Amino acid sequence: MSGLGMAFRIGTELVAALAVGVGIGLLLDHWLDTGPWFLVVFFFLGAAAGMLNVYRAASGIGLAPGFPQRPEKGTEPGEEKEEHDGPAGTGRPGN
Amino acid sequence: MVMGTVRTALAFATGAMALPAGPALAAGLPQLDPSTYAPQVIWLAITFGVLYVLMARVALPRIGHVLEERRHKIDRNLKMAETLKVDAEDAAEAYEGAMADARARAGNVLGDVRERAAKETAERQAELGARLHADIQEAEAGIAEARDKAVAGIRDLAAEVAHSAAEKLAGETVDAGAVRSAVDAVLKERG
Amino acid sequence: MANPLAQFEITTLVPIQLGGVDASFTNSGLFMVVAVTAITLFLTLGMRAHRLVPGRWQSMAELSYEFIASMVRDNVGTEGRPYFPFIFSLFMFILFANLIGLVPYSFTFTSHIIVTFAMAITVFLGVTVIGIIRHGLRFFTLFLPSGVPMVMAPLLIPIEIVSYLSRPVSLSIRLFANMMAGHTMLKVFAGFVVPLGILGGWAPLAVDVALTGFEFLVAVLQAYVFTILTCLYLNDAINLH
Repeated sequence: MSGLGMAFRIGTELVAALAVGVGIGLLLDHWLDTGPWFLVVFFFLGAAAGMLNVYRAASGIGLAPGFPQRPEKGTEPGEEKEEHDGPAGTGRPGN
Repeated sequence: MVMGTVRTALAFATGAMALPAGPALAAGLPQLDPSTYAPQVIWLAITFGVLYVLMARVALPRIGHVLEERRHKIDRNLKMAETLKVDAEDAAEAYEGAMADARARAGNVLGDVRERAAKETAERQAELGARLHADIQEAEAGIAEARDKAVAGIRDLAAEVAHSAAEKLAGETVDAGAVRSAVDAVLKERG
Repeated sequence: MANPLAQFEITTLVPIQLGGVDASFTNSGLFMVVAVTAITLFLTLGMRAHRLVPGRWQSMAELSYEFIASMVRDNVGTEGRPYFPFIFSLFMFILFANLIGLVPYSFTFTSHIIVTFAMAITVFLGVTVIGIIRHGLRFFTLFLPSGVPMVMAPLLIPIEIVSYLSRPVSLSIRLFANMMAGHTMLKVFAGFVVPLGILGGWAPLAVDVALTGFEFLVAVLQAYVFTILTCLYLNDAINLH
């Protein structure tokens, strides 16, 4: 259940980022009339972003863009909470 | 397990289907029919707006108020319990003190009584001793007097016996004074 | 066998036109109203007694309050306090939508991508606006990873932007797909019960009962996930890690 939940989540993250990448590519191509080029570029960017999302979801960093500057930020409750429905225990050092 | 797998597959499928929102798919999936979007979004905005206002203005302040009140009450009760505890400790201390005091006083009284009793006993004993001593001395004096009297009687008797024996034996009158002194000498000699 | 997707059909109950825009009151709208009413009743009737020692309903209302309050406190900090009513409303709205949707013959409006996407995009735009208002241009350092060679920046910044823009998409797809998949499966197995008759019908029925329990869990979990991710995004905007 935990593994499958993880797999499903990773799927969502990947698909979402890919969809956004493709969407931006199509939009830019349509706007600038540049043929398939932006689509191709943003397809790969979307895939990369998706993998980044997956990496962040899997390593528990959450979905925050950018790299955590302070190491303790890495322990924030990210999406790994999906399996436990308890209250968010150790949050970020809040303020 | 199977359930989850089917779920995942379905989720992937629906997620993928969401991307190319073609009219062909819209026929199958009610979610992809754009004509339903406007009413849903409009009513979502209306209902969620109403909910937000109700929560922010009515429900949440009320719950927050009750929680706050309870926390205050608990704090107050804790504080009261604290003071009560201190009071109880004070009372216990006072009790302990009174107890010790009373015990000490009782000890003193007891000591006094014992001392007084001992003194009285000693006094009475001494008095008794003195009286007995006096009695004994009186008795001894009586005894000595009686003995002296008896000894004197014996001497007189002996002198008389010796006098009359001498008179009878010698046939002459013996001087009484000489007899007496002779008896005395003999008596002294015999102890 | 009934079409398992028929349950997601939108039916117009009261046709309304607002300046050429279709604002009809549909079954989806009806269940939104039902959810809002249920939440309001739950919280106001539960708290009506207003007792210091709570009864069952009151403690459930208080529990939900404390749950979201601590979630906001732990994940956003004290500065998240002004957004507590919004996050609480969001959680209750999704939770009640999911739970009411489990009642047979009801409608689950969170199984519609447009609804979940509208909520996710509202959160996304709101959080972005809050971030920009609080930090100005410094907000965009969110996309510039520190501790990474500058040569990599032209490649990483677009990736980070796509990743950031994918937030509302993944947020809405996750909720919508979970609700839709669950309800479709319930319907598919329920569709097998009658055709298989007394001899074989019990098997899909048992699966359906088990699934309903599972869906109950998913309903709560998805409301929780949507809310906690909102908190995390809000934290990013407020505290700019």
